[in-house]
Amino acid sequence: MMIASQAQKTEGVLPRCTLCPACCELSVAPNGPDIWRTEYPLGEGDGLCPRGSVLGELLGHRRRILAPGKRVDGQVRQLQMDQAYREILDAAGRGGITFILDPNLPCEQLSEAASWVQAWPEAKLCFAVEPAERELLLGTEASGAEYLSGRELGDCDGFLMIGDVFAANPICARGVFDRRKAGSRTPIVVIDPALGTTAKFATHLVITDVGGELGALTALAGAVGVDIDLTGGQTSKDSSSAQAAGAALGGCRKLAVLIVAEYGRSAAWREVGYLAGAIAKKLGGGVAPQTNGANPLAAVRLSQRMGTVSLASAMSPSEHVRVVLAVDVLGMLGWSSADEAKMLAAAAGLPNVTTDAAQIILPTTIPGEIGGTYLLTGQRSILVSPALAAPAGVPTPAEIIAALAGMAGIAKGDASAGADPLKRLKLKAPKPHPALGEPKPLALLLGRQAAQAGCGTLTGHGSWEAAIQPVPPLRISPQDARGMKLKHLGAANVACGARCVQARVYITPELAPGAVVLPEGASGTRALIPSKIDSENDTLVAAPATVAISPANGND
Amino acid sequence: MPQESEIVTKRVLINLDRCIECGSCAAACYVSHANMPVVGFARSGFALLPLICRQCKAASCVETCPVEAMVRDENGVVRRLLLQCIGCGSCAKACPFGVLPAAPAGVPTGFRSTDRISGHQIAKCDLCEDRTTGDDGAVPRCVAACPTGALVFADERDTSAEAVGVLGGRTTGEDPFKRR
Repeated sequence: MMIASQAQKTEGVLPRCTLCPACCELSVAPNGPDIWRTEYPLGEGDGLCPRGSVLGELLGHRRRILAPGKRVDGQVRQLQMDQAYREILDAAGRGGITFILDPNLPCEQLSEAASWVQAWPEAKLCFAVEPAERELLLGTEASGAEYLSGRELGDCDGFLMIGDVFAANPICARGVFDRRKAGSRTPIVVIDPALGTTAKFATHLVITDVGGELGALTALAGAVGVDIDLTGGQTSKDSSSAQAAGAALGGCRKLAVLIVAEYGRSAAWREVGYLAGAIAKKLGGGVAPQTNGANPLAAVRLSQRMGTVSLASAMSPSEHVRVVLAVDVLGMLGWSSADEAKMLAAAAGLPNVTTDAAQIILPTTIPGEIGGTYLLTGQRSILVSPALAAPAGVPTPAEIIAALAGMAGIAKGDASAGADPLKRLKLKAPKPHPALGEPKPLALLLGRQAAQAGCGTLTGHGSWEAAIQPVPPLRISPQDARGMKLKHLGAANVACGARCVQARVYITPELAPGAVVLPEGASGTRALIPSKIDSENDTLVAAPATVAISPANGND
Repeated sequence: MPQESEIVTKRVLINLDRCIECGSCAAACYVSHANMPVVGFARSGFALLPLICRQCKAASCVETCPVEAMVRDENGVVRRLLLQCIGCGSCAKACPFGVLPAAPAGVPTGFRSTDRISGHQIAKCDLCEDRTTGDDGAVPRCVAACPTGALVFADERDTSAEAVGVLGGRTTGEDPFKRR
């Protein structure tokens, strides 16, 4: 499949980090026998965040999964690859097989996987795009707004940022700052109830409650002349800051809207994406969704055209056995091995929550080892070359599906016809989202962090990530901290139901009382607010939840 | 006092208005220096800002070191001689800018290790001399990694460099939400 040849513009073929849409250039350098590290371009380039810095280490990591294994009585026993495939097929023979595939693979891998599964009647395929990100991307696609690349941000004369976009993709900050340097009055509007790093750079901070992003955005939209109400009549409690921000953006001729769909906020992301796109269109600009990985937009587009199943459907109880390929789907959803979703097999480069729950563990490639086409923005693709070849005998996710299909006697289909990831989806405007109700007291918000990608189970294997945050930081307002007798830099237990994580307290005067913030990439924090299947809307939702916080031992 | 010709003129400068506290500089330094952090962080109010060696003209760390492990090398770079350092911490205490801590970014260096060699070290920025020596266009890894352009490797004599002006005395103050 030569998707790259169809691209309007294809850039040079270089090894790149594909952990976010910035696709930064990198290379690897030897750091000992079979040990690698990331190396940086010699000159001042576009940068490389801590997630990219860890990629080199992961390629030769000491915990790398290099051979298949089977869990027997809690112990993992080594298998031959053929034996592992045979065991999967034997189990699938009773009901069918569902492949849950990493959406951040090159387009060629996604299409190849779809081609095999389409010809396999007992098999289903799911691209495991984060549910909130999938909703957001469906919203931006429906809006018809242009997609902006990082380089185009410097040409914009106003910025609307929803969520902590600088933590999700530190590279995008450069364009914002370049523009601000050229025009010091450039409005930078931020909507983020967790007050992440991006909020510190706001010229206009929109005050909003937990889960109130859509209400605030609706008020802001009204101020710039976009009369779309998707809240079902729910308005932001304090709309004055939104109206002031709207007034500041009203004079923009090219507005950039940068959005990150934060986990666990239940913020009607499809509606937020649609409205953000409408505002960007009205003000002559575009949107720049900052996703986990570089290719979720391609996966969303391809999944709509290739007849794949949703993640909610794939994770619902069924007779099918689940084979998870290169994605930590349990970690992503905040589920644990004790949850109902039984994983028969999981392929990964490094151990994660999903491989810990799987009966059969398979080796597979990690980012940096697969080359191919990524959708750089909505209209352009980029061809990425691998930084290093995969270890001998380690298959790509598509090769695992192909091997299983071959053993099952399936002939490869041709799902790639008409499946062009550069082609935009034609979707209807979303319906109004029901009101979320009053915010819960002491609601837990999870925020992005530059050091960790997604749920952190891949980049968490990096030495830097392990060194800097063995205990995640808990941001809390002074009023709440006083009420709970928490001290700055003291230890605290954050509990939600039966689950608990230990954190270090950072008293944050700017944070509104009633909300506390933990990083979503830290170990176990997503599990505090696990996603739930919403069968009616065929999606998974993680809603803000009330947490109980108490000082931990040694809090003095 | 070293001769003018012995002092580096290109330094790593920080534009605080561009720092988003992502830690890219510290991560790049850490993975490239055998997991021994050099770039540390200081917390100023709610902001978390990188601390990078200023390569002082009158370097207190060099003056204080009792075993001459902290030296100015032939390129003018102040650096620590790995096998000569006894880990006494004199340089860390002498540094007026606090950029030589035993635990930059909260990550202990080999200073507290029980290893016979690495247990006696204070981490010290060497401006990535393995990259920058003999190549005027090359920059230290922290600068190459900086996603926002907050770090620049600039000649202090080049007054057009954006960060040189910033070095003059802008501070974050107590409240980073109001600093910009």
